[in-house]
Amino acid sequence: MKSTKYSEKVLDHFRRPRNVGTLEGDDVAIGRVGNPVCGDLMEMYIRVQDDKIKDIKFKTFGCGSAIATSSMITEMAVGKTLDEAMEITRQNVADELHGLPPIKMHCSNLAADALHDAIKNYREGIKLTPVVDVPTQTTCEVPVSKEIIGVDALLNKGVYRDSSNLEEFRDKRTLVIENGEPSIELAIKLTKVTQRVIFMTPLKMVLARPELKTELKMSDVKVLLEAELVEVIGTESLEKVKVHDLNENTEYELFVDAVIIP
Amino acid sequence: MPKTVYLDYQAAKPVDLEVIEEITPYFSDKFANAASLHADGDIATEALEESRKSIAAFINAGDPAEIIFTSGATESNNLAIIGYALRNKKKGKHILISEIEHISILNIAKYLEKNGFEVTHVPVDFYGRIRMDKLKEKIRADTILISVQYANNEIGTIQPVAEIGAIAREKGIVFHCDAVAAEELVPIDVVRDKIDLLTLASNDLYGPRGVGALYIRTGVLLNPILIGGGQERGLRSGTEDVAGIVGMAKAAKIVKSKMEAESKRLAELRDYLIKAILEKIPRSHLNGHPKNRLPSNAHFRFDFIEGESLLLSLKDEGVSIATGSACSSKTLEPSHTLISIGLLHEEAHGSLVVTLGRYTTRADIDKLIQVLPAIVERLRKMSPLAK
Repeated sequence: MKSTKYSEKVLDHFRRPRNVGTLEGDDVAIGRVGNPVCGDLMEMYIRVQDDKIKDIKFKTFGCGSAIATSSMITEMAVGKTLDEAMEITRQNVADELHGLPPIKMHCSNLAADALHDAIKNYREGIKLTPVVDVPTQTTCEVPVSKEIIGVDALLNKGVYRDSSNLEEFRDKRTLVIENGEPSIELAIKLTKVTQRVIFMTPLKMVLARPELKTELKMSDVKVLLEAELVEVIGTESLEKVKVHDLNENTEYELFVDAVIIP
Repeated sequence: MPKTVYLDYQAAKPVDLEVIEEITPYFSDKFANAASLHADGDIATEALEESRKSIAAFINAGDPAEIIFTSGATESNNLAIIGYALRNKKKGKHILISEIEHISILNIAKYLEKNGFEVTHVPVDFYGRIRMDKLKEKIRADTILISVQYANNEIGTIQPVAEIGAIAREKGIVFHCDAVAAEELVPIDVVRDKIDLLTLASNDLYGPRGVGALYIRTGVLLNPILIGGGQERGLRSGTEDVAGIVGMAKAAKIVKSKMEAESKRLAELRDYLIKAILEKIPRSHLNGHPKNRLPSNAHFRFDFIEGESLLLSLKDEGVSIATGSACSSKTLEPSHTLISIGLLHEEAHGSLVVTLGRYTTRADIDKLIQVLPAIVERLRKMSPLAK
């Protein structure tokens, strides 16, 4: 079966998703599952009154079935008690949509998980911050980074501590590792000499004065949050790096030509 | 001819009507086996050898005997790489391929690794061009084969093939080039580019599917991978598909006669599309090389959204198009090409591959330009990543 062979009902929910959006207030809890790296990120917002789901909204980044299952579960959950809503399974959502392609059953049917996460957070009084509007936070510190494997062999052969000569980075895919506001300023400056600049930070958000954050957002710098540089790889010069995804606790490779480390 | 706004010519092309007309007699009146010695067999033999000459001329090969017909690009790639590696393993066991080869080459390389060969992947730059410094660096004394595609089937980047050929020839290494993505719109010359083995496919020339060819430069020796009656100089057993082969040759002739004008026409449409999309859609990007790219290819990515959702929405608008997103693939892995040019997974998920072809009109492109911005905006409104 093709991975995009969807039922009419799935397509209907994809085309006209119900309850897209966010909710605010003291009686609102948010559930979040997935990871954009894997192609799915789902946020479920529930408003609870008298132990019942009074209102429910969602935001989803993902494929057709990710959007359709999110939409479907909002219709299934509204009006239900929290206990009843906890009973809704991935299979129930898939059945209600007249089935999903087998390959999509696991990866995209996260809607039930997102709903359960929201209920759990409501019951435990956990307040997630929406990804959509991360407020400025100034209290958390940049974690001390661990030793990066391979730096000695590739220093000044793609791996740099000194970035004073911008020309060195012309047309190179350049990765700038978080090192306070100067590293953000450097990343923005580098976009003048190369099309590809990635700014990588282990934090969940960019920490900087508001003007600099805005400037970064408007720039062509690609920001990579919750990621840590583990290893630099190459024979005689840099070819790629290994990145630790702190959110998913997984590692993956990223192809770059230059890395600027603190 | 396509009934929808069909912008997926890299995946499949319709067969040229002239080609269909040309090959029809070979299914009925001229049906004989080319190996038969009677008069009917002679008709088939003659058609086969004329086709061989046409394909040789198409890529400027000196001798038609250098062309072997196969069942398509996958088989040609298998014969070239496995056939050459097995025949020449005493010379060395090291093979170089680029990071962004077609999946058939990547999997052939994996197969050879399991069978005692060593394969090194040469990285590419942000535009998908092979890093020549790295290619030179990775050549070893026991390197026997370099395989690099002429142009990339996903992002359309054209490789510096002549430079690779020159280095390979100088070092005495055989150079295999998969030219399937490029063959319709880029003039190929195996002599000029110093190519030793070259893969061609019929369908990418608007010929029938299930037919392909491998150019094998005189003096380059291969083991067969299909064993049988010894057709095609013993390198590809099995009764020749004369109808298919005649179709491929006819398609190649038509392509050659149209190539210059068609390349120009498609490049103009492509540039018009790229300009419009990048202007109309904020946070949209072009993947691949801005200039050294196939005239038929425009490859975009859109921040914060996912490719399969784009594809489904375009399907509702009657537009047939492809994506490099994992969510539409069999393995659920994002395109290895997009990862190799240095994109993050989340960026690779938001890609859209537009490939133009012979029946693409300005109206088709205008339709895409008209519907895409609203689709992207709608999906972004739903996405928690869009800020």
